[in-house]
Amino acid sequence: MAQTKVLILDERRDVPPGLAKALDAVGAETHTCTPGDVLAASPGRMPAVTALLAHATLSPHTVRSVARRLADEGQQPTVVAYADRDLHLLDGHVRAGSDYLIPPFHPVLVEARLRDCHQHAELNRNMEEVAAHAELLSYERELEIGREIQLGFLPDALPSPDDWHIRVRFRPARTVAGDFYDVFELVNRRRLALVVADVCDKGVGAALFMALIRSLLRHTAEQSGLQNLIAADLMGEEPGWAEHTRAIPVVGATPLLNAVVGTNSYLTRNHIKQGYFATMFFGVLDPVTGNLVYINGGHNPPVLVSGSGAPPVLLQPTGPAVGVMPDCTFSLGYAQISPGDTLFIYTDGVTEARSETGRFFGEDLLLEQLTDAAGRGEELLDHMDGALSEFVGQAEQSDDITMMAVHWRAPAKTAD
Amino acid sequence: MAFDVRLRINDKVATIELKGELDASTAGEFHETVGKAAGAGAVELVIRAEQLGYLSSAGLRSLVFARQKMGDGVRIAVVGASEPVARTIRLAGFDHSIDLVDA
Repeated sequence: MAQTKVLILDERRDVPPGLAKALDAVGAETHTCTPGDVLAASPGRMPAVTALLAHATLSPHTVRSVARRLADEGQQPTVVAYADRDLHLLDGHVRAGSDYLIPPFHPVLVEARLRDCHQHAELNRNMEEVAAHAELLSYERELEIGREIQLGFLPDALPSPDDWHIRVRFRPARTVAGDFYDVFELVNRRRLALVVADVCDKGVGAALFMALIRSLLRHTAEQSGLQNLIAADLMGEEPGWAEHTRAIPVVGATPLLNAVVGTNSYLTRNHIKQGYFATMFFGVLDPVTGNLVYINGGHNPPVLVSGSGAPPVLLQPTGPAVGVMPDCTFSLGYAQISPGDTLFIYTDGVTEARSETGRFFGEDLLLEQLTDAAGRGEELLDHMDGALSEFVGQAEQSDDITMMAVHWRAPAKTAD
Repeated sequence: MAFDVRLRINDKVATIELKGELDASTAGEFHETVGKAAGAGAVELVIRAEQLGYLSSAGLRSLVFARQKMGDGVRIAVVGASEPVARTIRLAGFDHSIDLVDA
């Protein structure tokens, strides 16, 4: 048995000689205090004890206060009341659940009582640890369930129109994430919606808003797609080849605007107090022509990497972050993707990744790495992943990281 | 640099000086200080950001809270923000509701 540590509680810091002798004989480490000493002690100043020996003249109420004070410090000593003469004083203590010691304080008997106390305290401590551990496990399980549900808010598979390569890397910093991405077909599969977004902050709050914002965007875009097609037909436009020659693609712009403006007004109407917002890039791509119409709501500018060696083009914000300003304007941006080009869309977890010395990855290094990379789809993401992990080293990932590469394969003859 | 936030109120103008990094771990402290400034009835909030090294999206969120807490009539200015901090504010479009001064 480890050495027994005993706290003796007495108003006069007096220990009956027989008891002191017995404690000494069994090798117990003793501390003698008044109840006031314990109650006034600053946190962490009390010795860790397994038994609290209280003189029977103290009131059970006082003893309970002292025990509670020790419990605040994580101690669970067994309370033992002792009396040297007036044995009737023990009644109240015993009724209150305390153990007791009475003279003669024979060392073997005292030792046996203290051993019980020690085992009791040990058991209490183990029980507490088990309970705390169980609680932690249940939180972890809940979070894990949250993570699985959240994955259901990301697309199962990415559509792959002819000659297009769309690949994603998604790495939450915690179990649940504020980042999300989405790729889905619009306007009778003639357009492709590309979304990369970042809900501010991280953890469970951001994850809940991620689910809301993703659903609002996708639902609104999908619902307004068909009306738009009808509108285009009524206007006498022939969908299809006519758009090859049109510099500004209109089909797809309506679901895009409806989705972003609708989501912004929904969030500012219903959730403004909670202060969550999302930066997002929402593009609508015509896979036949490579025309891209987009809204960049306060998001890190995606990079259009040329396949022919032209300098990269940044798709700058066309409006503010979504969800904070009630009556703001979102404009449409336009870009032309050519065969061989890659559109790289990412969240700030990439540019704000930090090295062990605290430096940021930054946009300059991002552009440099993107232009250096040889590959264009999966290989480009591999390259960026490699560059990031080399930069970050052993530092901990502090923010969600999402990267999407949208590559239009060059025709075989130029690739040779 | 360790995070530090200081509040001064002079003639109904509250000045909050920020040092270090405003992110998820420090936003709460900033938020409390803004609460004090609002409680003191400040009519203008000046955020000195010369020594602010980094503003994360959680930090941006705390600027949204500052805007809400101070009320629409109160001018909020972020003064002397470094290029990356100013860029983060501009990128999100928050420079429309908060004045960026000397950035």
